[in-house]
Amino acid sequence: MDHSEREQPSADKWEVQLRKGSLELAILAALWGGRLYGLEILKRLEDDTNLIIPEGTVYPLLSRLKALGLVNSEWVESERGHPRKYYILTKSGKQRALEMAGVWTRFASSMRKLLGPLNGGNK
Amino acid sequence: MTVANEVQKRIEEYLDTLRARLRGVKKQNAREFIEELRGHIQDRISAAGEMTPAAVEKVLAALGDPNELANEFRTNALPDETEEHTKSPIRILSILFRWASFNFTGLFMLVGALAAYLVGGLLLIGATLKPFNPHTVGLWAFHDETGDLNLSLRLGTADPPAGAHELLGWWIVPIGLLAAVGLVFTTSRLTRWSARKIKRSNVFA
Repeated sequence: MDHSEREQPSADKWEVQLRKGSLELAILAALWGGRLYGLEILKRLEDDTNLIIPEGTVYPLLSRLKALGLVNSEWVESERGHPRKYYILTKSGKQRALEMAGVWTRFASSMRKLLGPLNGGNK
Repeated sequence: MTVANEVQKRIEEYLDTLRARLRGVKKQNAREFIEELRGHIQDRISAAGEMTPAAVEKVLAALGDPNELANEFRTNALPDETEEHTKSPIRILSILFRWASFNFTGLFMLVGALAAYLVGGLLLIGATLKPFNPHTVGLWAFHDETGDLNLSLRLGTADPPAGAHELLGWWIVPIGLLAAVGLVFTTSRLTRWSARKIKRSNVFA
């Protein structure tokens, strides 16, 4: 239908915004288990979530999280011959991750309730 | 050119574009960002198992457009890490121009800073020109035809209005210089301070 075709791009745009918005929490959550370097974080996001983003996006965000004191970083020599920048959650990073996870869970559960009829209707 | 050289050249091209777009970012941060991406590219290529131009293009495409990446780095960076640490009015105005295109706060700050720098600049010019045109340069007070009192800063381009009297005399030199320096300094400080506040409060953006 003409109408739904016109609606499509804005739904895509919304999805991109949604993915971008959840990226910060996703990175903090990925680091919860210990230190990782950029590519490891990306792999974690690819494996555990469906967060498809331009890979580079994660690096500017990591640098911001570091500037905000939520993560620390250190360069470690690798067997590949080039150093890797590892990130680790700071105390306030852990606290922020917990806060954000709480907000996310509450939000998701109320949305699930609200969307119940829509999802049921699709089936 | 060997394939390995060709691949290396393409990677350097990508990183050079990125580097050029990061001008103004603190050198140390820009260097670390570029090295981090270089490591990412090398890891991705060796994971792909083949060092071919096609494989490199795929890795670079997945990483994203270097111009956009640099923009994202700049947008995400805190003022301490970028040229927003600068004291130069020209750099501050160019940052505000960029900000003004994003939101109203930026536009508001740009108009305010422009006005303050303009007044500061005029005072500075007045103070500098006074010794050359001592009879016309100055802060003049006069009554217009409605009888209202008007103040006019004259820079020696035209004669003062009839019946006007000069308020500051030679004092315009030290007062103008001090006020100009003070205004420019305060505006720069205030702009940097607001930018920092706004960016820090924007954690979830």
